[in-house]
Amino acid sequence: MTTLDKIKAQAKELLAKNKVEVVIGFTQGTLQGKSTPYFARTEKEVDNLVWQEGCTNNLANYLLKIPQKKAIIAKGCDTRSIVNLIKENQINRDNVYIIGVNCPSTDSCQSCQHPEPILADCFIDVATRETKGDFSDVEAFSRLSKEERKKYFYQEVSKCIRCYACRNACPACYCKECFVEENLPNWLGKTTSIADNAIFHLTRAIHVAGRCIDCGACVRACPMGVNLSILNRKLLKDVKELFLEESGLSLDTELTLNNYKEDDPQGFLIGGE
Amino acid sequence: MNGVKIMDKKVVAFLCNWCSYAGADLAGVSRFQYPPHLRVVRIPCSGRVDPLFIFTALKHADGVLVAGCHPGDCHYTSGNLVARRKFALVKSLLDFIGMDDNRVQFDWISAAEGNRFAETATKVAEDIENLPQWDQWGERA
Repeated sequence: MTTLDKIKAQAKELLAKNKVEVVIGFTQGTLQGKSTPYFARTEKEVDNLVWQEGCTNNLANYLLKIPQKKAIIAKGCDTRSIVNLIKENQINRDNVYIIGVNCPSTDSCQSCQHPEPILADCFIDVATRETKGDFSDVEAFSRLSKEERKKYFYQEVSKCIRCYACRNACPACYCKECFVEENLPNWLGKTTSIADNAIFHLTRAIHVAGRCIDCGACVRACPMGVNLSILNRKLLKDVKELFLEESGLSLDTELTLNNYKEDDPQGFLIGGE
Repeated sequence: MNGVKIMDKKVVAFLCNWCSYAGADLAGVSRFQYPPHLRVVRIPCSGRVDPLFIFTALKHADGVLVAGCHPGDCHYTSGNLVARRKFALVKSLLDFIGMDDNRVQFDWISAAEGNRFAETATKVAEDIENLPQWDQWGERA
């Protein structure tokens, strides 16, 4: 029995027993090698599910949008997003049945450190996989000169057309009213000048800092190819090094930026420590 | 203009209502001298400072100072401690994208530290004067 067969059997059972109204997974996309999110509401529809290379989107986003009881076929990054969403009281754990499966992609997310699900109601074929994820990209960028880094940052943000696809695709960005669209007060200029774009991208990165799990949904959603991951991953690295925390791995810990320690590093202050 | 130095560089200072703002007040009452770069924005707590404020201030100003109560002295018990984590990330992120060190600075100043406020204001003003011209995120013509 393949992994996909086991997923389908589990999904059919959940629907047949009326435990959930919809199973969130993937189906074959229109393009070769691409998969698209799929919502199976009947046992017949379950047969359209796939689990293959290219099932990369973060499905946790849909949990926020479907109020009914639902099941989700979740890989490592989806479950980490779910952990954060439960901690932030955005989803009701009792309404979600998590089918945990190892991520089927092996080469699309080079930096992934947790392809196996963290939290699930049933695990299917879960095995720990060797990962080579590190922060070498961030470290390499840090070694560039100040001028080079600034030039690159300006060049990247100047591509942005401010469609907010990165925000919409992000499971951590669920605010009903986002600062980018507020007019009273007008937090952020609505133009695509480098200034407004830079402020947007820095603020977006900081707003998801300590909650971002590096699923790459924003990067895949971006139509202009802005290098969003360099900012996300820099903050991921900082959170890990400064506060020794990694987001989305446990339901018991407080979110990094909701928390503090008496002896948190404060070398950044005037006069240092 | 003969002999008069025009102070056109500005620093936006976010001062917490309970400590740093009172510290600035004390500096004034005590007649401590410091350069006129600072434009003070009074905030309820350093925890109120969304990094967005800092980034946006830099669209128009040359520098930013954020000051709050010393750890343990927060009027809201832990606002400054939660803010401290946030500021550490902001500082690191700004450095990462090639911002000059010292353009954005953070400090703890209590209501009793009028002299320290004046010293900090002087230091920040001098730092900004010594930095190359800030391009205001590419907006400065």
